[in-house]
Amino acid sequence: MTPAMNNLVMPVGEEGKAKALSGFLARLLELGVVDSMVLPVMTVPGIMTYLMARDPELIREKAEPFAAVMPVNAGSPVARTVSKKPRGRIGALLKPCEVRALVELVKLKQASPDNLLIIGIDCTGTVDRNEYKKAYPDTSHLDLREACKVCLNPSPPDTAFPGINIGHIGLDDEDALLVSLSTGLDPGVAAVVEELGFESDGSLADRRRSAIAALREERDCAHREFFLNSRAEQNGGGIESIARLLAACTGCRNCRVACPVCYCRECIFDGDVFDYETRQLLRRADRKGGIKIPGDTLLYHLTRMNHMSLSCVACGMCQDACPENINLFSLFARVADRTQSLLEYVPGRSQEDALPFTTFREDELEPR
Amino acid sequence: MESSVGFEPKIVAFLCNWCTYTGADLAGVSRIQYPSNVRPIRVMCSGSVDPMYILKALLDGADGVLIGGCHGGDCHYVNGNYKARRRIAVLREVLDELGIGSERVWFRFISASEGALFADTVKEMVDSLKSLGPNPTKAMWIT
Ligand code: SF4
Ligand code: SF4
Ligand code: FES
Repeated sequence: MTPAMNNLVMPVGEEGKAKALSGFLARLLELGVVDSMVLPVMTVPGIMTYLMARDPELIREKAEPFAAVMPVNAGSPVARTVSKKPRGRIGALLKPCEVRALVELVKLKQASPDNLLIIGIDCTGTVDRNEYKKAYPDTSHLDLREACKVCLNPSPPDTAFPGINIGHIGLDDEDALLVSLSTGLDPGVAAVVEELGFESDGSLADRRRSAIAALREERDCAHREFFLNSRAEQNGGGIESIARLLAACTGCRNCRVACPVCYCRECIFDGDVFDYETRQLLRRADRKGGIKIPGDTLLYHLTRMNHMSLSCVACGMCQDACPENINLFSLFARVADRTQSLLEYVPGRSQEDALPFTTFREDELEPR
Repeated sequence: MESSVGFEPKIVAFLCNWCTYTGADLAGVSRIQYPSNVRPIRVMCSGSVDPMYILKALLDGADGVLIGGCHGGDCHYVNGNYKARRRIAVLREVLDELGIGSERVWFRFISASEGALFADTVKEMVDSLKSLGPNPTKAMWIT
């Protein structure tokens, strides 16, 4: 169920949508709604990063709210800005998969939601950041990332935060952006936004909704096909085929660092547990004739899947991070799809849905 | 690779101190006959068995992993067994989705007084693993 939203229309002048939205974000900072605003900027030509801005002018000048690149899943760095129960409020402009990752981190008690003003924004997809850098400024021909091609959530969840959503899907021909204020939004914030004099209008919201539904339908086919292909690639090969797919893994752990929902502050794979004694290694090598080093490749990936697949938001950052170009996204997305449907869990949808591993029902999952 | 003829599966068993471990002990003291394929590891609760340990055993060549916990409502730590049930169900999905298969992982509720049930479970598991054959990870060094 979608909660009632107050839908406002932000007019866009000649300077275009990006400038209009940047101006809006700068205004929120100027008016003291937030103490700082996190948003994507272009640092040097072709390279996007996130900026935690204090100076509204910097936002007006540098913000790139629509650039189709994702340097990181900002859900996790934003969580870190408010992990220590600060005073004040941080605003952040986030893509749908970033909002959803942040919801998971809030539930994992790694971010304090009271100190956040989340401004979610529609996203129709991003391109590979390295290709973008090479092709810049002529980037319009670039293919979407694999994860984005099959993404079923191009709009931020309405139920995630009492915040603001910026809609633009289906509104390309309009000189306007949709600004939706969710019902639970701090009345102080809502009052400031309403002061800006945007008109209220339901028709743009309807148009956007049907455009999103159409996009999802299209992606749904691609999504199913993608999973089928990925399974076919394994060709029923069992554990050997998985070992082969991961054979190039050097154990650098970049995938874990890039993953917004790999939540442990200290990873067990970095600790003493895997600091084997020589005799332990020899014993294992003896049994199998030899062992790959650095080893525990399957153990690492399968453990990660067990720990975080329920919260996987299918952002694909793991794959982007892998120096060996291993197709991690298809493996993780497939597994996540299975584990999430088993426990009927939709990561990032709402702070109210309990994390599946923190709860249980007495009459479920039988026979074991 | 071990041949399946005369193949004796190795089972790593994580047994809850308060129920299944005592049940296994009871099977022993009562001189109930059961196959000696089990390598028991005593844990304080089935809820403390992270899937990582189950995976580690499987990847190191164990033919089966048995997790034994208290019956519903009897967990010494209130609901560790119910939480374990979720974790193991998720582990199964992971293994099945990747084509590894989850047949080698068994989770059973066996109380301290159910020595006979423990013995029967082990027999049943050994038979089932014999028909599955040796775990392919035994001979795989690229894990
Ligand atoms: S596993 Fe990969 S796709 Fe899933 S949330 Fe982590 S980085 Fe994103
Ligand atoms: S990023 Fe790639 S190489 Fe590094 S640990 Fe992950 S899968 Fe292995
Ligand atoms: S104490 Fe036996 S399963 Fe928790």
